[in-house]
Amino acid sequence: MSQNPYMPQLATIIETFDETPDIKTFRVVLQDEAAMRAFRFEPGQVGQLSVFGTGESTFVICSPPTRMDYLQFSVMRVGELTHRLHTLREGDPVGLRGPLGNHFDYEAMKGKDIIFVGGGLGLAPLRTLLLFMLDNRADYGKITLIYGGRTPEHLCFKDELKEWAERGDMRVELTVDNADKNWQHRTGVVPAVLTDLNVSPENAVAVTCGPPIMIRFTIQALEKLGFKDEQIVTTLERRMKCGVGLCGRCNIGEKFVCVDGPVFTQAQLKGLPQEF
Amino acid sequence: MVARFLAHDALTAQAAAWARDYQLLAPVREGQAVVYRPWAKDMHPFLGRPPTSSAKQALLPQTENLLTYTYRKDHADLTKTEVFLAEPLPSEPTVVLGCRPCDARGRKLLDRVFLERGVKDPLYEARRAVTLFITVACQRMENTCFCHWTGGGPMSEEGSDVLLFEVAGGYVAKAATAAGEKLISALPEAPQKAQEELAALLASPVEPGSAPDLRQVPQRFLALFDNMDFWMDQSARCLSCGVCTYLCPTCSCFNITDENSGLKGKRLRTWDTCMSALYTLEGSGHNPRISRAHRLRNRVGHKFCYHPQEFPGAGDSQPEVSCTGCGRCIKSCPVSVDIRSVVLDILEKGENQ
Repeated sequence: MSQNPYMPQLATIIETFDETPDIKTFRVVLQDEAAMRAFRFEPGQVGQLSVFGTGESTFVICSPPTRMDYLQFSVMRVGELTHRLHTLREGDPVGLRGPLGNHFDYEAMKGKDIIFVGGGLGLAPLRTLLLFMLDNRADYGKITLIYGGRTPEHLCFKDELKEWAERGDMRVELTVDNADKNWQHRTGVVPAVLTDLNVSPENAVAVTCGPPIMIRFTIQALEKLGFKDEQIVTTLERRMKCGVGLCGRCNIGEKFVCVDGPVFTQAQLKGLPQEF
Repeated sequence: MVARFLAHDALTAQAAAWARDYQLLAPVREGQAVVYRPWAKDMHPFLGRPPTSSAKQALLPQTENLLTYTYRKDHADLTKTEVFLAEPLPSEPTVVLGCRPCDARGRKLLDRVFLERGVKDPLYEARRAVTLFITVACQRMENTCFCHWTGGGPMSEEGSDVLLFEVAGGYVAKAATAAGEKLISALPEAPQKAQEELAALLASPVEPGSAPDLRQVPQRFLALFDNMDFWMDQSARCLSCGVCTYLCPTCSCFNITDENSGLKGKRLRTWDTCMSALYTLEGSGHNPRISRAHRLRNRVGHKFCYHPQEFPGAGDSQPEVSCTGCGRCIKSCPVSVDIRSVVLDILEKGENQ
């Protein structure tokens, strides 16, 4: 029998910590050391995490292939599987199937200015590409991150946000819907920051991920700034089960988000039936 | 190939003989329905009309095991847990008795999904390789039948290993594959009279009537895609019960869930239905197919637009659709949604959209 595509590899959680009240980060390594050394993936690809007895679900690998000490997943507690996952601790076993799906075309982005636009946990896939680019910093032009959340407490990767802002070779703009008294950054929605900064589309690519409503208004703002459809890249969320294009549920027209995506340009999305 | 004969009164004994060498799925009457059941003693196969359910369960069981897992706790250190995984058991050679040509053609369309789209499904592939179809050729069309729309026919042998033609006193059995030939090798040769009856039958087969030209359907479906009034109208009666998808010989969408029992359990694949709101409900609460209109649009779109887009037929011919025209979704729909009229409405209303 050929390889069973539903059979996960066994992995162990080596580190776990809270990002926000309902988002937890898990760092895992494959139990088979040779398999871990041989594990290859591209920024933007996803994996299926299993908690045997509860099920499995799809999450982006949010650490870059340039940092292979572990594979990182940041998970919001919303359903049965993620509730169970949040109860796991260091040393606990999980299953991992992946890498799955397509990836960000970082080759085509070389030499260009990159604008990351993220909301909430939508920063996770952007983090992979951002860290990959920072590890290959000379290949890319100006890098800007515009990131927003509901409140300061709901921002992910807080330590890194600070670190990135202090690097000097990239720009970080943070915004929240509801500020507290200690908040020293912007207030308001993410698309408004784009407009406010008057980001130039010249030789630039915008990469965006967040809640569907944020993505929609971000794309509108980018279009107003003069970004062409090919210059706007996003990565889609869909309910998935098999992750290999067979179970049917993540289709948009004839395309499957799990194999043809999750990364799409706005030009590609415009060619699909509008059912997101 | 030699035409062989299976007498009506020898059917049950022959089924029992097949069941000795194979796992046999045979249609039996249960109340108003005719359903496939694994062979059991005192069973009487019923071949008198197309079974209520399709034969896809032979290739894609309603529930099947993808893997098993076992947790083991370290009794010296209770914080430590290990997990062990195991592959499912291999498939057993299976014979499906009494399906219809529309069911047998469903095999080709399931192959498209599980063997030809990208990743091969090894569980399907293994089961496919050891499953044989003994098909009853249709001598009349029911008013829900439309196999001739989809490239099939009441006596088509596509996908079958053996074809049974009913004649006086029994069936003339003709093998369509070498494996089928072997399956019927113990049957006596068909008598002259039965062979003549078969020749007459083949000379004047049931006339299915004309079929609409489906070449414009994909384009017109996409033209109508955003016209929610059209889809609300088409789905107004739909109850989202999903019977259309469960009985369909080509619907192949599945769910994956874990069934736990103490420290061990199974990861199962089960049939799913795109007619359910839960099918696409995301963790965040967002649902791209929030209404019955969206979901009916997906079911019809997948069969008559997305599938032909993915597997375009040759040149100017009718598109290959992911439907064999068996009519089960029409016959068993509790509110009489008729996929034929949805397709015809797409052809008509999509023209000037």
